[in-house]
Amino acid sequence: MRGSLLGKGLLVFFLLSLGVHYVWAQDILRGFGPESFTDYFRQFSEIIVGDWSNSGRQFLALVPKLKLYFLVVLVGVPGLFFLHYLIIGPKRFSHQGEKILYYGPLARLIHWVAALFFTLLVVTGLTIIFAKTFGGGSLVRISRKIHLLSAFGFGAVVVPMFLMWLRDMLPAPYDLKWFLMFGGYLSRKKQPIPAGKFNAGQKMWFWLASVGGGVMLYTGFYLYLFEAPLKDLRLFVLIHNFLGLAIVALFFTHLYMSLFAVKGAIQSMLSGYKSAEEVSVLHSKYYEKLKQGRS
Amino acid sequence: MTNHFNDIRHAKLVFFIGSNAAEAHPVAMQHILYAKEVNNAPIIVVDPRFTKLAAKATDYVRIRPGTDTAFLMGLINQLIQNEWYDKEFVRTRVAGFEELKEVAAHYTPEVVEDITGVPAKEVVRIAKLMATHRPGTVVWCMGLTQHHIGSSNTRAACILQLMLGNMGVSGGGTNIFRGHDNVQGATDMCVLSHSLPGYYGLSEKAWRHWCEVWGVDYEWMKSRFHSKEYMEKPGFTLARWYEGVIQEDKIYQYTPIKAVVFWGCSSTSQSQYHKLKKALDKLELVVIIDPFPTTTAAMCEKDNVYLLPSTSQYETEGSVTSSCRQAQWRYKVVDPIYDSKTDYEILQEFVKRFGFADKFFKNIKKIPEDVTREIARGTLTIGLVGWLPERIKKHTDNWHTFDIDTLQAKGGPCDGEYYGLPWPCWTEEHPGTPILYDISKPVAKGGLPFRARFGTEYTYPSGRKENLLAAEGVANPGSEIMGGYPEFKGWKTDVRVIKEAVKRGMAPFGNARARCYCWNFPDPVPVHREPLHSPRPDLIKKYPTYPDKPNHYRVYTRFKSEQKPELVKEFPLVLITGRVVEHMGGGDETRSNKYLAELMPEVYAEINPRVANNYGLREGDMIWVESPEGGRIRVKVKITDRVDDRTIFIPYSFGGMFMGRSMAANYPDGLVPYAIGEPANIVVNYGYDIKTQIQATKEGLCRIRKA
Amino acid sequence: MARMKFICDTERCVACHGCVVACKEGHHIPVGINRRRVIIINEGKPGERSISISCMHCSDPPCMAVCPAGAIYQRDDGIVLVNKDICIGCGYCLMACPFGAPQFPKNSSFGARGVMDKCTFCAGGPAPTFSEKEKRLYGQNRIAEGKVPLCAGMCATKALLAGDADVISKIYAERVARRGNGLKEKIF
Repeated sequence: MRGSLLGKGLLVFFLLSLGVHYVWAQDILRGFGPESFTDYFRQFSEIIVGDWSNSGRQFLALVPKLKLYFLVVLVGVPGLFFLHYLIIGPKRFSHQGEKILYYGPLARLIHWVAALFFTLLVVTGLTIIFAKTFGGGSLVRISRKIHLLSAFGFGAVVVPMFLMWLRDMLPAPYDLKWFLMFGGYLSRKKQPIPAGKFNAGQKMWFWLASVGGGVMLYTGFYLYLFEAPLKDLRLFVLIHNFLGLAIVALFFTHLYMSLFAVKGAIQSMLSGYKSAEEVSVLHSKYYEKLKQGRS
Repeated sequence: MTNHFNDIRHAKLVFFIGSNAAEAHPVAMQHILYAKEVNNAPIIVVDPRFTKLAAKATDYVRIRPGTDTAFLMGLINQLIQNEWYDKEFVRTRVAGFEELKEVAAHYTPEVVEDITGVPAKEVVRIAKLMATHRPGTVVWCMGLTQHHIGSSNTRAACILQLMLGNMGVSGGGTNIFRGHDNVQGATDMCVLSHSLPGYYGLSEKAWRHWCEVWGVDYEWMKSRFHSKEYMEKPGFTLARWYEGVIQEDKIYQYTPIKAVVFWGCSSTSQSQYHKLKKALDKLELVVIIDPFPTTTAAMCEKDNVYLLPSTSQYETEGSVTSSCRQAQWRYKVVDPIYDSKTDYEILQEFVKRFGFADKFFKNIKKIPEDVTREIARGTLTIGLVGWLPERIKKHTDNWHTFDIDTLQAKGGPCDGEYYGLPWPCWTEEHPGTPILYDISKPVAKGGLPFRARFGTEYTYPSGRKENLLAAEGVANPGSEIMGGYPEFKGWKTDVRVIKEAVKRGMAPFGNARARCYCWNFPDPVPVHREPLHSPRPDLIKKYPTYPDKPNHYRVYTRFKSEQKPELVKEFPLVLITGRVVEHMGGGDETRSNKYLAELMPEVYAEINPRVANNYGLREGDMIWVESPEGGRIRVKVKITDRVDDRTIFIPYSFGGMFMGRSMAANYPDGLVPYAIGEPANIVVNYGYDIKTQIQATKEGLCRIRKA
Repeated sequence: MARMKFICDTERCVACHGCVVACKEGHHIPVGINRRRVIIINEGKPGERSISISCMHCSDPPCMAVCPAGAIYQRDDGIVLVNKDICIGCGYCLMACPFGAPQFPKNSSFGARGVMDKCTFCAGGPAPTFSEKEKRLYGQNRIAEGKVPLCAGMCATKALLAGDADVISKIYAERVARRGNGLKEKIF
């Protein structure tokens, strides 16, 4: 299966970090019979336990901890931003003066449709992770169905979104600089920050949401259908969850940036226009390009 | 069975030949595995196929299909040559030993190796193993009997046990596991064409005996028949009845058969099924009495079928006889559902319409108790006199008071009796005979000598004269005569004679020797004869079959004229059939169970990897299996080492398909079984036992090609 | 408290599938769901052995550890059960189970899996004992009736033992000891 190979590549780093090699199944089977039958039991265990001894143990070691990881992200990421808001505070730009058309109507439509499904995915996904807290049962089962339907919706818009923004999202040399200065968010000064139409943070989000989203769709599809070897499914669960963890973290970041960190940023996705001031500071390279184009 | 299932717990060795008990008799396996575990008994399995039973064996012997007699005679020869046989047993209780010795001498290990494919060393080893582990039991099933020399095969197995002195002892005996629930009961009632109930035969004496029991006039009974000749002439057998319709072989009857009734019988278990189907489509009337609309019904393509729904065993009651000759009362669990009627009711309705209900039910007021009582009154030959309904019920109700090893009740209401009163149960007080021919116990306590059925003396063709009665000093304890004695006159028809004999400590049927030389058989001592369709043309010359037999159960049966040495060139593979644990018999009932159908959903042919590779077949491919008689079936390939590279195996429990066509549309709406498939018996070859006319399903040839 | 366990004696199992069919018939389990199954190794060759496998009712059940809904629980006697009202059908338990015990019927809308079904040790489920709901969702409650699980009760050769771990392991140990492996005389 080509997909699972891709998945394996992505997950190698998770698995390497584990190194847990205890022989749990063998311990269970040892209780069965005297030494003379061990040969048969080895053969039986190969068939019954099968690849569990390879992928099942890692699965078993990681999955029970998922809830904790998600809790850390759910509390930690908003917490950090809250501190950021308190200490550094949001950036404010004048919304008077020159406006630049930043997002066309189609782009905005695609964004909001994607956003709708994406939010549903995140919310229902978290419901599944914390199923026990919600008491399981029909509420979570409905969440799973919404999760599935939203995935189809998201899948339908993620392709045009990807094509639409691909060119602007390609990495540029100054992105490195942006990362080094944390996008300027650690300072209150309004100095031009090296960024194109989209800054490196947005690019990161774009790639995670589109390519990562694709991986999520792929793994999720098989987890729903169950039509794959168990060892692949185990891998898919881990990919789906850990990628989900990253997506949730950046999802919060995206929300914070658009709603709080840059005051009025959300306006640009509603009206399509950004103030020239904002563009000149936060997307200075793009602003320069625009000016050159105009003069 | 001479002994009983539980008695196998005492065996020091279990020898299976032509039996796959693990699939056909899984419940009996507990006793076999007990013997293996507790007695360290070697489990020897002789079979062309590495069955699920072979998986539980300590010694597995792969044998070429149809060569059982040669193998058994090889073992007998080894026992005699090496003086491993039980000399005292042979001296006192066996007749015809010299004649046996002469014939057996031919079957040296090397000859046996050539015929059977079993290495010569292995023959010697198995013989020694059997000689050193006594008592041992010999078990066989259809794998031994369904051959054209099936009767010789079974006799060779019996002689083997005689040589080992394993008869009449706990842990020994010849134990033939019967294939169906109550099939022993059916046999005892002689649901056969050549005998009245209780193995009385068809002679005028037999008819007069039963007419007396039934309370009907013999002359009236005679008037019901075409003539006295036909009243006493064996009828068609289950294996060949269709020839009475299609007449491809000459029949010996004044009229062809016009109607057939299948009463709880699956036609798919009969060989040459494509010919049987021809007969179904030619008959004027086909009546099927069954809880399920059987494959037979679906196979009929002429509007001549009547389905009479009968109840299952849970909706009726009566006595049933187990493989080990025990009776048990089966109580009704639920009332009949839907339109189904019990077999009793159906018969009653028939009899009423035929107009002789008064005669039929003369002694029967209460069903089924009075039926059992009538059987007890009439069946003296096998000692069913003691099988009164109330006794049988008492045993069934108190089954927990019986010992698991000996079957004897310890205390309680049945104290001292054996469970189910294994026949012969000579009198109303007799405890039953758990082990046949056991002379260590008094006859009244369940002991028995060998039956004196064939006179007191015989002169062999060599001129040697032999006393057929048991030797001096050999008799059951308490016997009036301590030695051999002939049968009591009139014991088969007069219960007073039986009671008198038992009172005198003697068996009503005498005390004789078991014969190794049966002059009333085509082969007095069993000899090997190549299957009609043999893969070994060289051996056909050496061990040819019998001459053709005209008027064999009213039909001409080919032997010599059917044995064609060149057949193997066109049909290179040997075909064997058998059971799977999931399905039962023709499978109409089990294939209609969704869980069993899920486990065994389709018919397949087991093919050795070597054959598969030579034919370019992969697992799951469809193939046509074709028989020399023009039958062909489309089945799935299952590649397995169970069979060797000259043999293919097909389970016979499927139906609902016919030579590539689905017959599903012929079932009543919604009643198509979950699993349908080609009946293997379409491709089972021509071949019938010389004595019993049982079909030869475990030998014969076929060819395969990719479908 | 006794701990309930299964032991399958491979020397006795004849692969008759009686346990599988008994289980399905007894609990009216849909086709395709196998609370119990029989596995054969070396089929058709010397060394052929079979074993009947179902939920092993582990002392430290991995399925319970990974269940996000907390639907799986363990009784005091060690029987591991699933609460079908809580189960969300995610399938993690199947991925965690070394024995492939959890089963998922495909009966919901969108071809999705239904809630998990598995061997209950014939102990019913969390619904009130002997209630109609218990019977419908989980099958019979033979343990409450004081009977052994159907599969073990049905086993023709007594290969499959079920019950208190101490008791059945003693039966099995005695059986193995009696077997006297390697004591059989060799003739040639």
